[in-house]
Amino acid sequence: MNTFVQRFAGSSASKELLAGNASITEDEDFSDAAWGSEAGFGSLARGVPSFMVPSVPDPASFLRLHTDDHADPSCRIKIQHGTTTLAFRFQGGVIVAVDSRATAGSYVASGTVKKVIEINPYLLGTMAGGAADCQYWETYLGMHCRLHELRNRERISVSAASKYLSNLVYSYKGMGLSMGTMICGWDKTGPAVFYVDSDGTRLKGDLFSVGSGSTFAYGVLDQGYRWDLSDEEAQELGRRSIYAAGHRDAFSGNTCNLYHVKENGWEFIGNYDITTLHYDGPGNVAGSPGHGYGYDLRVEGHSSANPPPAAAPVVAAQA
Amino acid sequence: MSIMEYNGGSVIAMVGKDCVAIASDLRLGNQALSISSNFQKIFPVTDRIYLGLPGLATDVTTLRERFRYRVNMYTIKEEREIEPETFAHLVSSTLYEHRFGQYFIEPVIAGLSKTPSGGVKPFIAATDIIGCLNFAKDFVVAGTASSKLFGVAEGLWEPDLEPEDLFETISQSLLNAVDRDAFSGWGAIVHVITKDKVTTRTLKGRMD
Amino acid sequence: MASLAHPQQRQFNPYSENGGTILAIAGADFSVIAGDTRQSEGYSIQTRYAPKVFRLTDRAVLAVNGFAADGNMFVKKVKQRLEWYRHAHAKDMPLRAIARLIQTMLYARRFFPYYVYNILGGIEEDGTGAVYSFDPVGSYEREACRAAGAASSLVQPFLDNQIYFKNQRPAPGTSHPVHLPLPTVLSIVIDSFTSATERHIEVGDGLEIYVVLAKGRNLQGLEGIRGMQELTVTEDGERVFVVRRELKKD
Repeated sequence: MNTFVQRFAGSSASKELLAGNASITEDEDFSDAAWGSEAGFGSLARGVPSFMVPSVPDPASFLRLHTDDHADPSCRIKIQHGTTTLAFRFQGGVIVAVDSRATAGSYVASGTVKKVIEINPYLLGTMAGGAADCQYWETYLGMHCRLHELRNRERISVSAASKYLSNLVYSYKGMGLSMGTMICGWDKTGPAVFYVDSDGTRLKGDLFSVGSGSTFAYGVLDQGYRWDLSDEEAQELGRRSIYAAGHRDAFSGNTCNLYHVKENGWEFIGNYDITTLHYDGPGNVAGSPGHGYGYDLRVEGHSSANPPPAAAPVVAAQA
Repeated sequence: MSIMEYNGGSVIAMVGKDCVAIASDLRLGNQALSISSNFQKIFPVTDRIYLGLPGLATDVTTLRERFRYRVNMYTIKEEREIEPETFAHLVSSTLYEHRFGQYFIEPVIAGLSKTPSGGVKPFIAATDIIGCLNFAKDFVVAGTASSKLFGVAEGLWEPDLEPEDLFETISQSLLNAVDRDAFSGWGAIVHVITKDKVTTRTLKGRMD
Repeated sequence: MASLAHPQQRQFNPYSENGGTILAIAGADFSVIAGDTRQSEGYSIQTRYAPKVFRLTDRAVLAVNGFAADGNMFVKKVKQRLEWYRHAHAKDMPLRAIARLIQTMLYARRFFPYYVYNILGGIEEDGTGAVYSFDPVGSYEREACRAAGAASSLVQPFLDNQIYFKNQRPAPGTSHPVHLPLPTVLSIVIDSFTSATERHIEVGDGLEIYVVLAKGRNLQGLEGIRGMQELTVTEDGERVFVVRRELKKD
C-alpha cells in the first residue's frame, strides 16, 4: 500500500531518487569528488552510482583485454579467482559455509578472505568471482534493503532482495562484472536461499555450491543432505563439505567460515583451519566427529601403503 | 596454462657446514585437482648424491629411470662412484640432448664431493629445462613455488649451518613457500646429507 | 606509408608496470608502512627515487604500487577528498572511513581501473594499529600484515613465517606473541627488503619506512633509529615518522 501511495503521490524519496538520477549525467565528472562524507559512497546517496568508462568504441573488450587472465595469463590487472562457497536450506534454517583463499594465478594472494558478506543482521551474501564486485554490490544492496525497511516499515524478503541484486547486475550485463553469489536469509516464508550471478541468472533452491571447488563440496553435501538434519548435523555437513573442497581443490582452502541463519537472524558459528580439520577435526563443537577428517588418518595402520606411525616416523617442524 | 604447472611441485636444496639438504613437497596434481599426497620427486643417485626433479610428472618418471641407467653405466665403466660435479654435467648434457623437444623438468642436485684430503665438500646445483647449469654457493630452488622459495630462503639462510639447523632452515623455507603456492604442498620430505649418514624426515604440512 | 591492402590492428593501452614493492605491518599500538623507491619500466630504471608511500593524515599512511601514473593521480585524489572532509567536519577522517572511501573511489573506475595495488596503514579510532589492503578495483580487507607489488610473492611467505609464526610451534608451555614490538617489526621490514633486493631486479635503490604511533604512545625503541625524521602535523594526537635507508642499486 505504501509503495502504491508513493508512486502516485510523487512527494517522497522516489521523487528525489528520480531527480538524483537526472542530475547524475550533468555532474558525472564531479561524482568521485563530492564534498564531505556521504557514507563513503559518494554519488551513491543520490541514487545510482556512476562509473568512469574509457572513451573507446567497445569499453567491455577494453576491460577484458586488461583484466581477463583466462584469455591472457600475462594480463596486468589480476582479478582474484578460485573459491568454494555453499549454502543450503533445512529444517533449522540456512547453513552458509565458505573457504577463505584468494588466488592470483598460482599465487595464494590471501588466506583470510571474508567470503560471507553480512548484508544486514538477517541477510547474508556469499562471494565467488570478482571480490570487489561482490563486496561493493552487496554493500550497496544492504543500503537499499535498509531504505526498503524505512519506506515500508517491514523487512525486505529474501526473494525481493535477491531480485534487486539480480536486476542490478543484469543492467551491467556484458560489461565484465563477475559474481556468483547466494543470498541467504529468513523471512515471512521461512528460510530462503537464492542463487544470483552476473549473467543474470536467479534461482530459488534448497542447496547450492559455487566456485572452482563446488564439485567437491557437492559430493559431500549431496551424500549427507536431508531436510530434517539437526542443527549440529547441518553445521557439521557444511564444515565437512568445505573441508573436502579445500583439500582437493588447489584454488580453495586455508580456513572455513561457517554461518547459521535462524529465525532471528544469522549467527556466526566459527572459523576452522582446513589443515586442523584434516589432522584433528573441528575440536569440541556441536556435531564434531571427535577426530580428523583426513583420509590417511582413517586408514592409518590398515594398509601397506599407509603403515602405522611407528614404521613411518612423522616429525613436525619446530622452531 | 603452463605445462610446468600441470602437475605442480617444488624442490629446494641448501648448503650447510659439511652438509647439504634437499627438500620437496609431496603433491601430485592434475591442474587444480590434487591427486596424490605421496608423490616422490627426490631420488638418491649414490649414497652422497640426491636428485630433485620438479616439473611434469611423466618426465619425472622417465628422467629418473634414464639417470639410473646412465649412472649405472658410469659406475661399471669407471669402476667408481660418480662425483656430484660429474653428475651435474651428466644431468646437463642429458637435458641438452633434448634441446628442441625438452623434458619439462628443472633438476636440482645436492651432494657431498670428496676432497683430496679425505674430507667432504658440500655441492648443490640446478639447471633449467634444457640443462643450463647454475652452481650456487648458498641455495637453489625450482618448481611452481620457486619465487616464493627464493624470498623465504633469502631471508632465513645463513652460512655454515650445522645439520640440525640446516634441517630447520630448509623445512621452514619450504613449508612457508608452498603454503603460498596453489600447486605445491600436501606434505613435504627433507633429506639432510652428512659425511656419514643421510637423515630423511617427512613433514606434516598443510593439506589444502 | 603503410599499405592499406593489409589489415591493421590497433590497441588502446594506457597501462604500464613500474615495479617496486610495498609492505605494511600492524602492531598493537603502531603501524609500519614501507616501500622501496626504485621506479622501472621493463629492464630500465626510470628513477632511483620515486616515493610510493604517502602520509595522508597524522594517523593514516597510504602505499601505492603498480602503474606509477595511476598511483600518483589516485593519491592526489584521495588527499583532495580528505582535505574536503577536513573543511566539512573540522577533523581528520577516521582510518576505517578512509578505507571505505578508497574502495568506492577504486570501484568508481570498475570499467577503466586504476592499475594500482593499495595498502593503507595507520591507527584506528580505538588506538589499535591497522592495515587495509586493496585490489585494483576496490575489494578490501583489514589484516595484520601484507606485501604487494613485484616482489610480493617473495616477501609475503617470509612475513607469514616471521609475523604470524606460520609452520612454527611454540616451545612447550609458551605461546607466540600476538603483536610484535616495534624494533622487531622494523628489522623484519628491513630484512624483507634487502632479501627482495637480492632476488628481484625491480626492487632496490632506497627504502622508505613510515611509522605511525598511537596517541600517547612513547617513542620506545624508535629513538636510536638511524635516518629517522618526524612528519607529525597536529599536536597531542597520533605521530608519524619516516625512516629512510639505502638499498643496493645494482
